[in-house]
Amino acid sequence: MTNSMSNIEFVNTLVNKHVKPLVTDIIDQFQVGYVVDQNEIHLLLSALKNEGWIQMSYLSAVDWPEENKFEVVYVIFNWDKPVYIQLRTKIDRTNPSMDSIIQIYPGAKYYERECHEFFGIAFPGNPDYEKQLILEQWDDIPPLRKDFDPQAYSDRKFPQRTYTEDYSVTNNEPSKAEKRKLRKQRAESLKGGKKQ
Amino acid sequence: MKQMKLFLGPQHPGMHGNASVHLFVDGDIIKRSYLLPGMLHRGFEKAMERKLWVNNISLIPRVCVPEPDINEMAYAQGVEKLLKLEVPERAHWIRMIMLELARISAHLMSYGGLGGPTGHYTLMYHAHADRNSILDIFEKISGARVYHQYIVIGGVRQDLPKGIEKDINAFLDDLESRYIEYRDLGIENPSVVARIKDTIMLPEEVVWELGVTGIGMRSAVGKPYDLRKVMPYARYDQVEFEVPTSTYSDARSRVDIKLKELVQSISIIRQCLKKMPEGPVRVKPSRGQSMRWTVPKGYVYSPVESSRGEFGYYMVSDGGTNPYRIGVRGASYPQGLLGIEKYMPGTRIDDCALWVDTMGICSPEIDR
Repeated sequence: MTNSMSNIEFVNTLVNKHVKPLVTDIIDQFQVGYVVDQNEIHLLLSALKNEGWIQMSYLSAVDWPEENKFEVVYVIFNWDKPVYIQLRTKIDRTNPSMDSIIQIYPGAKYYERECHEFFGIAFPGNPDYEKQLILEQWDDIPPLRKDFDPQAYSDRKFPQRTYTEDYSVTNNEPSKAEKRKLRKQRAESLKGGKKQ
Repeated sequence: MKQMKLFLGPQHPGMHGNASVHLFVDGDIIKRSYLLPGMLHRGFEKAMERKLWVNNISLIPRVCVPEPDINEMAYAQGVEKLLKLEVPERAHWIRMIMLELARISAHLMSYGGLGGPTGHYTLMYHAHADRNSILDIFEKISGARVYHQYIVIGGVRQDLPKGIEKDINAFLDDLESRYIEYRDLGIENPSVVARIKDTIMLPEEVVWELGVTGIGMRSAVGKPYDLRKVMPYARYDQVEFEVPTSTYSDARSRVDIKLKELVQSISIIRQCLKKMPEGPVRVKPSRGQSMRWTVPKGYVYSPVESSRGEFGYYMVSDGGTNPYRIGVRGASYPQGLLGIEKYMPGTRIDDCALWVDTMGICSPEIDR
């Protein structure tokens, strides 16, 4: 515990040496998050990579339409000093663009491609960020944006069918009371003896 | 010679699941290759934003089909971190038993999957028969065979049934007694070894370039980089286990590590059954509302060590009853997409299926 707490302090001094983070939030003993300016991301990522944060775990974005911002998130990890660092930065929502980090972390290539597909953020510097990856022939706004409504999309894309014949299930079975009456009648008819 | 285009998958004995590898080959040497995901895209990340925190429990196991329990663990852990919720002691131990059983079943499935590309189907039948016994145990514990929805926010859904220790111990003894047999069938078998030894190497610098984790990384780097050791979650700091490693990563050494991990998992489960305390197994995440409770604002990344590597959920809450954003970091994302694009060219067609199997590429988690 003491060791891992000192790891967080180590990260804190390291980050503060390079940039002034706007927000620091310590999530637990193995994880810390920083909000930094868009222009400082590359500087900070390469500085942290030199210090041992060589694994890029996750890259994605969060949509904040009220502020008209996208928040790009980088999660990196150091196996020798086990601290996950989340770096977050807010970029403009109209014509969003964030310089690619594949020069620092080559593994980010496909994450950026996916991020472009689902949020529409451009990553100049990544050679094929605009290529189609998962969604085939997508013809709407990027789907993970908050203003994309899946229900409206599916109503438009797959319109209600009209059927020429009526396929609705109808129940022609007699009700329980009727069945009981029928049974009684049959039992009467099977009775032997003189019919009245 | 003219280049030819070949599809490996989705229907192929060496390709498990719903992705396809496009290969451009000259003779049988691959010149260019890429993975085509998207055949199983279900829009889970969007769907999760539209459901309550507690509703998502039924959705998340579907993210990775062969190993569903890690999803539940990563999700539950993340929400508990946001809620600052303390889970009862017994629940931690039950979670570990579930996770290790799931690890054994995933390893068995992928070891059996080696039978596909090497043409050795006996292995597959044996492995799947044993996996079936684990599914029986899961059914007794949770009522479901594959998607358990057992690890929930605040603990586990219910206590272990009476007498389950006997079933688990009987299964573990049975599996351990046939461990040598398993090795002989697969990685000691000369006809299989000829196919998997010294093929599709993964050097250390490639590991760092791609960001590969899990068995792929440990087989190349030679250090015990396992999240259960490095940043213990649940009660992994209170059990003793080793992390098998190697410094020469070919297909054989990766499968070898998989089998050694099997033995470690067996020992972890035995320790858990011994050390497990009595007590409650679940706390309520909130008072009052049973479903429409809120989670405080925050960002959290919640990783767990799956059988294929680091698997994580990135969660954002805006203080509402629904998640604001949930992102899934699939364990096989780097080796599945960038790995196939960059490191398949130069190898042979049949090696590609071995890469897909021994690196544990799981297409549902790439698609989501």
